[in-house]
Amino acid sequence: MTYKSHQAKALASHQIADLGILVVLAGLVVWYFLDAKSASTQILNLILILPFTVITLLLCLIQFVRQLIRPPIKEPKVERVKSVIPVISLFVAYTLTLPWMGFDLGTMLFIAAFLALHGERRWLWVAGYSLSFASVASLFFAAMLPYPLPMMIFPS
Amino acid sequence: MIDLSAALDGLTQLFSSPYNWLIIIPGILIGLMFGAVPGLQISMAMAIFLPATLYMDFMQAMLFLTSIFTGGSFGGSIPAILMNIPGTSSSIATSFDGYPMSRKGGHNTALGIALGASCIGVLLGYGILFLLIGPISKLVLKMGPAEMAAIILWGITLIGTLSSGSLLKGIISGLIGILIGTVGYSEAGVARGTLGSPYLLDGIPAIPAMIGMFAASELFRLVNTKYLVADVALRKVSIGAILAGLKKTITYPWGIIRGSLIGVFIGSVPGVGSSIANLISYMVAKKQNEEPDSFGQGNPAGIVASEAANSTSEAGSIATLLALGIPGGGATAVMLAAFAMHNITGGPQFIREETDIVYAIIFANFAQAALLIGLGLLFIPLLANVVKVPMNYLVPSVLALSLFGAFGLTGNMSGPITVMVFSLLGWVFKRFDYSVPAAVVGILLGGMAEDSFIYTYQISGGIWTYLFERPTTIAILILLVLSLFGNHLLKAVTRLTNR
Repeated sequence: MTYKSHQAKALASHQIADLGILVVLAGLVVWYFLDAKSASTQILNLILILPFTVITLLLCLIQFVRQLIRPPIKEPKVERVKSVIPVISLFVAYTLTLPWMGFDLGTMLFIAAFLALHGERRWLWVAGYSLSFASVASLFFAAMLPYPLPMMIFPS
Repeated sequence: MIDLSAALDGLTQLFSSPYNWLIIIPGILIGLMFGAVPGLQISMAMAIFLPATLYMDFMQAMLFLTSIFTGGSFGGSIPAILMNIPGTSSSIATSFDGYPMSRKGGHNTALGIALGASCIGVLLGYGILFLLIGPISKLVLKMGPAEMAAIILWGITLIGTLSSGSLLKGIISGLIGILIGTVGYSEAGVARGTLGSPYLLDGIPAIPAMIGMFAASELFRLVNTKYLVADVALRKVSIGAILAGLKKTITYPWGIIRGSLIGVFIGSVPGVGSSIANLISYMVAKKQNEEPDSFGQGNPAGIVASEAANSTSEAGSIATLLALGIPGGGATAVMLAAFAMHNITGGPQFIREETDIVYAIIFANFAQAALLIGLGLLFIPLLANVVKVPMNYLVPSVLALSLFGAFGLTGNMSGPITVMVFSLLGWVFKRFDYSVPAAVVGILLGGMAEDSFIYTYQISGGIWTYLFERPTTIAILILLVLSLFGNHLLKAVTRLTNR
């Protein structure tokens, strides 16, 4: 595949994704309105949600038609998405496992894994930095915050 | 307008004890530190150190708390400039031009400009407060829910128009932000959009959402970057360049005055002030600038506009607190708690009977502005070294810090999970040219906008012609329309007159 055709394909998929995001956003707005309406149809409950939903959907529709007629011509950087996905996955895993691993161990593993993912091969340095950063940050916040911070190694 | 004998009494009180001055320095340092660490908030610093004010008299307590406020207002701009993480919602607009300046190696100058604009802003803000505390308190009393709703709508519209991409996408982002801001219990006593989670009954935590959308999403975009500043030569921390930035501030006199006036006025509106003032000031500066397209690319005038407004909004919110006893936000709410701890009630009576204390607070803030320059110059070089840290170390460290901070804000896992969810949303928004600032301000003000709608409905009895009886509301709505279509209207009028 030539570079040009690769770029054209990337641009086309970006345009489709752009339309898809608009549809998803409009869908979420509709879902939120229906959820609010099912909770209560009182004016006090819908006084802002109803008009703002209508206006948002109207603007989404106009934008959708606009994008269909005149699609965005900006070239996306597809390679960036590929390199970001592992980082996002790592961050999601770090966040979701914090209640079990604690901020101390979780942070240490997250930083070490991130450094390894980005090519750091000085393992002593990786271990030292992740351990010292996680220790200092978790001990500082545990001391400053008025509620217990989930911890695995240090006292919360 | 100025009670000279009370002003003299205020000065005497201020110089009656060296402790009055000694507590200001730790106050500013605490504020700087909490403002500069992503996730820590000025209100959090004030709440943590509030018990310490029990051992002070009322004036010392106020001096200590306002010095935390002053330090924190500037401190928030440091991560905004260096890492695109607004330390507080009042530094959002600072990141628009501060961060691009940093990426180009202008971090020292940007920090100097922010420091200069903050200090002059504090001076001007309290100067205006000194002259106008009476009229300001009367004006604020006239601001009802209809006016607040109009100001919020104006703010969101302005932010929507700020987005460099599509105007329509900018406004859609703001509207979606407002809707997100209404998640949770409504005035009707029902829960909306909570997906059955008890964590969301009080709504989506706004500050963690802001951290996620601004900071974490930006860090995802930087994973392939080696350093925050690509050029090695530009990475050095230079006191000379910071001082040059400081000096450069005075080359924007109109920007500072305009920002300060906007800051005091918007800052005095309860709840709205700090989040909106910097954005409106930035937007007005952009519209009036000869090169509006340079905003968002690293224009120093953008930093001046934002910092002048957020520093003076402190004076505005304190005016409301002192004159009406109404806190304008988290920080002034803690100050209100200090009032209660010292058995003092804010309001017109307080202004009338304790005028000397009011003037002492104002004078002390003049001194705080001068001290902020000195302490800021000591503090900035330490933090500016962040540009020398390789991104593969900086990204995971700041991501982790944002989760620590988010946990600190909510006290449970809802904070970190909010950061995670909104970092993904922010990344998608940036990738497809939606306006992250508009969405964030919408989230911050959505609940308040809904409350304002409800109160307006209740006061008017559902009769919408009531709005036409509120000239201030109409004026703000006209400003809203003008900010959207002003340029087109002007062009149309010019075309007609040329014919």
